[in-house]
Amino acid sequence: MTTWTFILKNALRNPRRSVLTVSSVAVSAALLTSMMTLQRELTVPPESEGASLRIIARNKVSLVQPLPARQLAEIERIPGIVAVTPFTYFGGQYNDEEFTSFAQFAVEPRRFRSLLVEGRVSGGDYDAWEKDRTSCMVGRDTMKRYGLKVGDRMKFRGTFYPCDLDLRIAAVFEGTVDDRGVFFHHKLLDELTGDLGTVGTWYLRVESAEKVPGVIAAIDGRFANTAAEVRAESERAFQMGFVGMLGNVAALIRTVNGVIVFTLALVSASTMSMTIRERFREMAVLKALGYKRRDLLGFILAEGFGLSALGGAVGIGGAWAAWTLLDIQRLTGGIFIVFEVTPRIMATAGVVAALLGIVASLGPAISVGRMSVVSGLKTLD
Amino acid sequence: MNTPPPPTSTKKDPIVRVRSLSKVYRQGDIDVTALNAVSVDIQPGEFVALMGPSGSGKSTLLHIVAGIDRPTSGEVEVQGINVGNLDESDLAEWRNQYVGFVFQSFNLIPVLTAAENVELPLMLTRLGRAQRREQVRAALELVGLGDRMHHRPDQLSGGQQQRVAIARALVTDPVLVVADEPTGNLDAKSATDVLGILASLARDAGKTVIMVTHDPKAAAYGTRSLHLEKGEIVP
Amino acid sequence: MGTGGEAWGWLGLAGGVAAAFGLMSWLARLAGLPIQYNLRNVVVRWRSSVATVLGIAAVVAVFVALRAMARGIEASSASTGDPDNLLVVRKGSQAESGSLVTREQFRIIESFEGLARNAAGRPVISAEVVAIISSARSQGPGEANALVRGVTASGMELRPQVRLVEGRWFEPGRREVVVARSLSRRFRDFGMGGEVKAGRARLRVVGHFDGGGSAFDSEAWMDADEARAVFDREPYSSLLMRPTDPAAAKVLAARIEGDRRFSLRAENEVEYYSKQTMTAKPIKYIAAVLGVAMSVGAVFAAMNTMYASVAARTREIGTLRVLGYSRRAVVACFMVEGACLSAAGGLLGCGLARFTNGLATGTLDFQSFAETVFQFRVTPDLMGLGLAFAVAIGLAGSLLPALRAARTPVISALKSA
Repeated sequence: MTTWTFILKNALRNPRRSVLTVSSVAVSAALLTSMMTLQRELTVPPESEGASLRIIARNKVSLVQPLPARQLAEIERIPGIVAVTPFTYFGGQYNDEEFTSFAQFAVEPRRFRSLLVEGRVSGGDYDAWEKDRTSCMVGRDTMKRYGLKVGDRMKFRGTFYPCDLDLRIAAVFEGTVDDRGVFFHHKLLDELTGDLGTVGTWYLRVESAEKVPGVIAAIDGRFANTAAEVRAESERAFQMGFVGMLGNVAALIRTVNGVIVFTLALVSASTMSMTIRERFREMAVLKALGYKRRDLLGFILAEGFGLSALGGAVGIGGAWAAWTLLDIQRLTGGIFIVFEVTPRIMATAGVVAALLGIVASLGPAISVGRMSVVSGLKTLD
Repeated sequence: MNTPPPPTSTKKDPIVRVRSLSKVYRQGDIDVTALNAVSVDIQPGEFVALMGPSGSGKSTLLHIVAGIDRPTSGEVEVQGINVGNLDESDLAEWRNQYVGFVFQSFNLIPVLTAAENVELPLMLTRLGRAQRREQVRAALELVGLGDRMHHRPDQLSGGQQQRVAIARALVTDPVLVVADEPTGNLDAKSATDVLGILASLARDAGKTVIMVTHDPKAAAYGTRSLHLEKGEIVP
Repeated sequence: MGTGGEAWGWLGLAGGVAAAFGLMSWLARLAGLPIQYNLRNVVVRWRSSVATVLGIAAVVAVFVALRAMARGIEASSASTGDPDNLLVVRKGSQAESGSLVTREQFRIIESFEGLARNAAGRPVISAEVVAIISSARSQGPGEANALVRGVTASGMELRPQVRLVEGRWFEPGRREVVVARSLSRRFRDFGMGGEVKAGRARLRVVGHFDGGGSAFDSEAWMDADEARAVFDREPYSSLLMRPTDPAAAKVLAARIEGDRRFSLRAENEVEYYSKQTMTAKPIKYIAAVLGVAMSVGAVFAAMNTMYASVAARTREIGTLRVLGYSRRAVVACFMVEGACLSAAGGLLGCGLARFTNGLATGTLDFQSFAETVFQFRVTPDLMGLGLAFAVAIGLAGSLLPALRAARTPVISALKSA
């Protein structure tokens, strides 16, 4: 026998209790992992290499406020810009579903081509899309989700625009951070709405990252004090703006995480102390046999740490497996896209679980240390 | 210390010297005197039976001699070592080397086999694995359980469990074996076996055995009986 | 708070709690033991009891607080509008901000029969413009969207639940805005006298209003025609009108929806707002998922405590069995104990969640795409739900231990040291 077999045998002495302890730690660790992932999903938009070169220019009033189409010529004249396209959120309802989770944008295909930095066309033909005014280019994920193929039609009911769309799928793209979008001709939107002469936003690509601040300043400055003032920002800043609009949600999730950690600590602490307390007599016997306080402390901590580490591993591993293997997009109706359980999140949850095991066994360990052999022997089982 | 030598002293070098040992503890609002200035010498190889009604202080005396309880005043010397001078950690080490314990309710660890239970005190020594195994086997054979090494306590009878406990007490080869009502939970046949083993430990192996009991038949196995009443040794 | 309905709710909750306690006492009596026996056992094992109670309390608190948040969002849309009003928006639009009603359509509908008339003899109808402005938050960096509503004079008349609490109403023809007081706390420039930027235009805050807990508490109001100018909009967003009576309302709605020229939808204002609950949905979803997942953990905790309690009382159970108590009595006894523990946890959790009641906060409304402010609403029925949830956790957690206790053989129970 080694000290480790002794500890192991002790930990497994009451299998039901050990299973309960490990499972409750596992459930809490899985929850913690998932909540941290949720928080990350909401507050850290996915990064892409091209995002640092792209700029979104919106109306300074708000994102919803349109911009005059005539601004295009002015923007094109600003040096450092590789390409610029109108980029208008259509906000349609697909096939009358209650909540459509993928966005549709009206763009100018000819100009849009060089903005699709990370993406590539994996089905159909970009040129075909560019040529056909009533066709669209669709993200691979949306194609898969609805079982669509090139040549199929997609119908949208306008919730923002007083018109409906009936589009033929001409091309499929993939490789961007969000392969769900549907892109169609801005000309079609203009026709259907009776040529409003407006666009939603301008989407543009800059030659190099160093030129981005200059281009942003140039755009903002060019339209200052005009009827439609413009706010240009990098794609990243634009996404972070959305996060800011969510308000106190991040703080709320943090609070919930805190409560979960608290509950986790409580449950495992109570179980650990129950486990130790019902062995007070044995601990006294070990003391009588010559085991020192620190030996017993070591046994208890090792057991507590071991149980919670196992629970943590099961919970974190389970959460990782679940969120990696499950189709999170389909599961949440497309509300969440990536839901990536990063190594950092797993490490954090693991450290929390392991620390809790140690903290939870400290209390009983201290009372065992204080206990006198005689009083310990008197304890009834 | 100028206490006169106790009358029971017969030889020159006792293995256990107890001098004016007192123990007072509080129970609720009142002080209870468990031991009142007890002095006694015990010689090597003696099998002492501590007798007396419950509350007489016999268990307290045993606990203090064995180093699991501390006196309020007085001294205990075992083989020339003043037990009271040892700190918590040294005391634990001392118990491991000098004292073997046998309890009324056996106090075996239920998840460990007989051999593993016996091995427990050896885990604290520097002995290697093979050596430990050898000593465990010897101790279990001595108590007649060489064939039960891999049984868990719940697979053994009460008498067998107590014999495992005795093997555990012996395995470190201590000079002192203390037993607190070792036959209290046993049937007559098992009690006889256990007492026989304890007696032979004193007689054949030269161990000093101190046993608390209130059974005169058990006490008869001893070489000497000490009677306690109200915390004092009575003749 | 303190409305009549809520008072009844509290009374109902108290009644429910009393009934639950009565039920537990009855169960305990069924076991043949006074409930004091269970309560004292819970107290004796206070360490594990406290841990279990706190664990369940945490679960219930999170669940109730999240539901209270969803309830708050729902409550603001549910308490919006006047049942006598008819709201007209574009067919297919999901929010007023995505709706269009042309000036031509307004002129035609204004002349329809069945509209109530005010003292001046004019039809009670307000053509409104809904726009979104991006403005600096009052706390922290960043901007958020705020909903600006351009209303005509009838707009105020049609919404009696909105009342001015500070300053004055805007004057038609001036770039003035009156902001809901609860919204004004969340934006930097929305205080009295503040200057709100809408692109190049500047709007001066001349008053604050109180929307009485309705969706209007998330809005800023200005003159409709000024709004059209500032936001460079030709059409209106929606029409709000008051028909003379419900029968007239039906006729009017049918006439507007049936008119081929329009493609408009007419709906009772209250009904329209009560359907704007999309934002509350994901929160309810999260509350359900978290509630279930956390309760699994809490069930484990309760099971641990109860198993330990059963193990420690083997002799006691044996004694009870010897005295003539049946297995069923033993089961009932431990179930009652589990229920007591969890009820205490539930009460504590509800008490903690109650602290969030009235807490004002805001988030992005998915439909209007603007900041919506709301208050956590911990209502009696939610607390009742939390309590029931807690007791369910306790019963689930004590069932297996109770069955184990019932299986304890009489003899071995008495033998065990």
